Amino acid sequence: MGKPILEIKNLSAKVADKEIIKNLNLTINAGEVHALMGPNGTGKSTLSYILTGKPGYEITDGEILFHGRDLTTLKPEERACAGIFLSMQYPVAIPGVASNNFLKHAVNAKRKYEGKPELDAAEFLKLLRGVAKDLDISAEMLKREINVGFSGGEKKRMEILQMSLLQPKLAILDEADSGLDIDALKIVAEGVNKWHNNDNSLLIITHHQDLLNHIQPDVVHIYADGHIVKSGDKNLAIELEKSGYKAFVDTKE
Amino acid sequence: MKLTEQDITLWGNDIPWLAGLREKGMRAFTATGLPTAKTEAWKYSFNAVGNMENLQIDTAPHECNGHCHHSEELPFAAYYIDFCNGKLQGEHFDLPRGVSVKPLVEAIYDGDAKSYLNKSFAVEKFPFAALNAAYLEQGAMIVVERNTVLDKPIVIRYHAHKSQNLFCNIRNIIALEARAKAEIIEYIDIEESTCFHNAVNEIFLAADSILKHYKLQKEGKTKYVSLNSVQQRSNSHYKCFVLQKENALARHESYINLLQEGACAEVDGAYRLNESGVSDITTNIRHLAPHTTSNQLVKGVVAGKAKGVFQGQIHIAPDAQQTEGHQLHRALLLSDEGEVDCKPELEIFADDVKCSHGATCGDLDKEQLFYMQSRGICMEEARQILIEAYLQEVLNMIDNSEIAAWISKNL
Ligand SMILES: Nc1ncnc2c1ncn2[C@@H]1O[C@H](COP(=O)(O)OP(=O)(O)OP(=O)(O)O)[C@@H](O)[C@H]1O
Ligand SMILES: [Mg+2]
Repeated sequence: MGKPILEIKNLSAKVADKEIIKNLNLTINAGEVHALMGPNGTGKSTLSYILTGKPGYEITDGEILFHGRDLTTLKPEERACAGIFLSMQYPVAIPGVASNNFLKHAVNAKRKYEGKPELDAAEFLKLLRGVAKDLDISAEMLKREINVGFSGGEKKRMEILQMSLLQPKLAILDEADSGLDIDALKIVAEGVNKWHNNDNSLLIITHHQDLLNHIQPDVVHIYADGHIVKSGDKNLAIELEKSGYKAFVDTKE
Repeated sequence: MKLTEQDITLWGNDIPWLAGLREKGMRAFTATGLPTAKTEAWKYSFNAVGNMENLQIDTAPHECNGHCHHSEELPFAAYYIDFCNGKLQGEHFDLPRGVSVKPLVEAIYDGDAKSYLNKSFAVEKFPFAALNAAYLEQGAMIVVERNTVLDKPIVIRYHAHKSQNLFCNIRNIIALEARAKAEIIEYIDIEESTCFHNAVNEIFLAADSILKHYKLQKEGKTKYVSLNSVQQRSNSHYKCFVLQKENALARHESYINLLQEGACAEVDGAYRLNESGVSDITTNIRHLAPHTTSNQLVKGVVAGKAKGVFQGQIHIAPDAQQTEGHQLHRALLLSDEGEVDCKPELEIFADDVKCSHGATCGDLDKEQLFYMQSRGICMEEARQILIEAYLQEVLNMIDNSEIAAWISKNL
């Protein structure tokens, strides 16, 4: 497989003085799809926020390398422009900001970072229309305020739309499948597969096997108590579906 | 006080009723003096008035007709009335049938202004309006005759140029007769710190008339205080929107009397101060008849050492049943040194009423900021986007899309 895109080494991290991530190791190489599965409330989303640089999370030990460079010194927007994308479990509504306008700001921010000229309204619209069509997102929806009153499934499609527009090197999908109906799940998976190639990689955080049927993972990790307790191929996810976490996690209670 | 001792001769002092109005204004002002911390309606912004000792009234004409300040055309068709250094420019205004605009002095000379001047408020209650009465001379009188619907907005532009310590008093009369309909925009584009404007608009809305009043106070270093005194007859509708940008002092005071059934007033506004200065939006809406309604939404953004003030008084008289009065002020306070003062005041003497008031003051939403950053948008840009979005809600109150777009561009 390709070169490492993301290397997490012995990572420990705290939020609100609570240790959530405990000595976590994970390497994702170019071209790979990794799935991360684990019980509720154990720190999967926390990990995604640490990777994207959300304020309020304190790394107490270890390192995170992105394309071999220390990620932790970069601001969230620099990480995004460098190629990290997070499809959020709970996308944030921003009243007063039209979706298409928001998307234009995002696309042009990245172009500016890359030294490319910004797209004007017409150029951007052309780009947007193509991508939105693939994800079955209507022009009306793009005019609405971003994520305001969007249904669960609409929010997730809007996240994947952003991924497609921004063409990241590493996409973290945090429960991108939650709230999606059967058809929407397929549309989202197709969108992801269309973007995915040997040059970029994917970390899918999910509770269910369904999305993994559409996007084949190379590695499946079982995550619990702040770190990865077992890794395997895609069959591990199928096994997990049958047995539940009990077989993999020692329950101390 | 030096200013009031200045020996000046205003036009028309030989007209007894006019001289009487001026005297009464001066007496009222001398009795109260400039606002202090104890002047309730000015308690948050009296300080920004500053020293007025060096200000001068200039009685000499100033006829630049826009030459000393290149007047900006607005991006839509409009009729224009210009003031420069507090002086009305020109004497003749071309307006369609049913609409007349006259210099105030002409309207006084003709006798047209007599039944309107100082008829909508009591000088004893408004120190600056009293001073404005004492120096009555400059201004325009706009009359929209019954059933007349104005086809384009009237834009009143205020400029200043080399205004060495000028104290400019402007009085406009705006009268809409029954079923008349008009849009009036006040555009204050004064950069100079060397003048002080004291404007009073007396607005009379007859039955079933509709006035949309917009005001854009551009950023500058000036001081501009105004009283908008409105008298509303049955089923008339006054809809006002004001945007105040950063200036040493920008005060928009509304004093609205809903005199007859069905009268409705809306006062919405936004202010945005980045570094310093004071924006003051003060309203006093008096429901004096049953079935009257009022609505206010004001949103502001304060950063640096600036100060935003909102004072909203709603008075509901004993027999003003089935009345509705709502008011909401929201502000973003983006710095430790900035200040937002909000004072709602409800005086309700009737029992069958619906009234509400609310106020919030907060910072930008961290989750929203991070969401944008995680999409590659830098912090500064994300903040700008959120601030504009925040103010957009109140801009949505403007129902003329061309005017909304223009004001939005000036946010
Ligand atoms: N800002 C915070 N303050 C306090 N506790 C927090 C904060 N953020 C996260 N936590 C806690 O950290 C733990 C991990 O949360 P996280 O959202 O990462 O879980 P998760 O594995 O993504 O769960 P799920 O599968 O339900 O999405 C939870 O107990 C959560 O309550
Ligand atoms: Mg989660």
